[in-house]
Amino acid sequence: MNRSYGLLSPRGQAVMWAALALLVFTAFPFAWMATTALKPSREIFVTPPSFWPTHVTLDNVGRLFVETRFLTYFRNSLTVSFATVGLTLLVSVPAAYSLTRFRFHAREKIAGLILFTYMFAPIMIIIPFYVAMRFLGLTNTHVGLILAYTAFCLPFNLWLLRTFFQTIPLEIEEAALIDGSRLQAVIYVVLPLALPGVVATGIFTFILAWNDYIFARVLLSADELKTLPVGIADLYNASVVDWGMIMAAGLLVIAPVAAVFVFIQKFLVAGWGSGGVKG
Amino acid sequence: MPGMGSGAFRLPEPVIGMLMLLPAVLLLLLLTLYPVLYGIWISFFNKHSFFPQQTFIGFDNYIFLLRDPEFWAAVWRGIVYALFTIVLQIMLGVATALLLNELFPGRSILRAIVIFPYVVPTVVAVIIWKWLLDSQFGLINYLIEKAGLVDQSISFMGKDWIMVSLIIVSVWQFFPFVVIGVLARLQTVPEELYEAAKVDGANAWQRFIHVTLPQLQSVLFVIVLLRSIWMFTKFDTPWLMIQGGGAETYIRTLPIYTYMRTFAYYEAGLGSAMAVVMFIALAGAATLYFRIWRREEHL
Repeated sequence: MNRSYGLLSPRGQAVMWAALALLVFTAFPFAWMATTALKPSREIFVTPPSFWPTHVTLDNVGRLFVETRFLTYFRNSLTVSFATVGLTLLVSVPAAYSLTRFRFHAREKIAGLILFTYMFAPIMIIIPFYVAMRFLGLTNTHVGLILAYTAFCLPFNLWLLRTFFQTIPLEIEEAALIDGSRLQAVIYVVLPLALPGVVATGIFTFILAWNDYIFARVLLSADELKTLPVGIADLYNASVVDWGMIMAAGLLVIAPVAAVFVFIQKFLVAGWGSGGVKG
Repeated sequence: MPGMGSGAFRLPEPVIGMLMLLPAVLLLLLLTLYPVLYGIWISFFNKHSFFPQQTFIGFDNYIFLLRDPEFWAAVWRGIVYALFTIVLQIMLGVATALLLNELFPGRSILRAIVIFPYVVPTVVAVIIWKWLLDSQFGLINYLIEKAGLVDQSISFMGKDWIMVSLIIVSVWQFFPFVVIGVLARLQTVPEELYEAAKVDGANAWQRFIHVTLPQLQSVLFVIVLLRSIWMFTKFDTPWLMIQGGGAETYIRTLPIYTYMRTFAYYEAGLGSAMAVVMFIALAGAATLYFRIWRREEHL
């Protein structure tokens, strides 16, 4: 329901005040992180605190790059996240296509199994997963971590892609099938239509892998292999908390998420329709 | 319909379908279902987390848990945490969705901003709030002291407040999930229903109770179920709150206790038993969810 009314009516004013309160609640913490990251130390701990830095500095970012392994963590996070996206899409695109286009025995049972595994929280599988990875010699490797994220993302991926494939009318594909093989129909007709959905699914996967803490914490112990969330948590655990540097780290970690978020936020509703991103 | 290849030999369509599905199903079986089954298996052993030694002990891990006061305390803390965060998320989420369904300037930008906390890493959400709630230099302590609400700064990570702080962070981080779901549903509520209610003389509150709420019933049911599962098994938010000197025992929920037993005391068998208990409790909920989803899809 989209009702419009004058902005100066009591109702309009109430809406604007509520919107303002909501904006402060959700956005202010981020803004406070950003301005803290740009303040020199003496300004961070001053009373009364001021919102805007009087001397904008990149000192905190500099220390983060020089004194910590932030850039290594960043590279690790990128490697692991992109590899996870690649692997999950490679297996889930054909699978989702199959679930919507072919009729075969046990199809519905498999769909049910997928939805069932979607319920699993990391803490419920992490212990046996860790023991199994240790047995296979995959702890302390990025391969083990990528497999963990694939397991974690796959159910949601399949479900989301399934909804996208369901929206592509069969008639379009059948028309293409008359002229050529199914493979051609898929490559030239179905995939271009499904591309936005595939990209959105890839981005969701990227965000899940980029944000994860528990799998990386448990599976990796070597410092040079750590991903960003674990690396930052360890910065915080240092004896003296360097707030400026930590806020700078936080800002840089959410930068890639913020960049892709603009693109995917309209897909979030579609993602919700298929069960919602885990979190 | 023609098959995949153009040669004389063609695989039957159902076989192609199953082959395309196979890698995904194999990965799911190997990486999710197998660990769960293996976890059930090792819950019957006295098993070290790192070394391969294990002794079969039957139900001893489960019997230990039944008698372990810390286990029950963790269950209780988890229920308190899940209950408060879910109720607050729903209230805030529904109110926000109703607001974002109104027409006002800047609405689409605000919609995006509101969802943003949900997509940032938990570690970022936690450090932001730890900084805001810091007992010495935190902005919130400065503001409430200046407003004269307190005489002394509050130790938000101390034993009296850490659960409250954890709930605040969690609600902030996860209420957008409710907003997305409810907003999606609100957009499909026919305008005529409101017009009819207006003609009947219903005020805004009555329209919410008698028109909006019944329409939201099914989506809220699903949200409560999913959020219950995910809040009850939430590990990283409470765990990261504890880091750097939080009053650890006061927010030691079941996932934290499971992690501690496994990776600090190296009791993988006992840890697995706790994971199994969580799994059984939540499998019931998942079954229920599945039934609801099926009913929805068949409508």
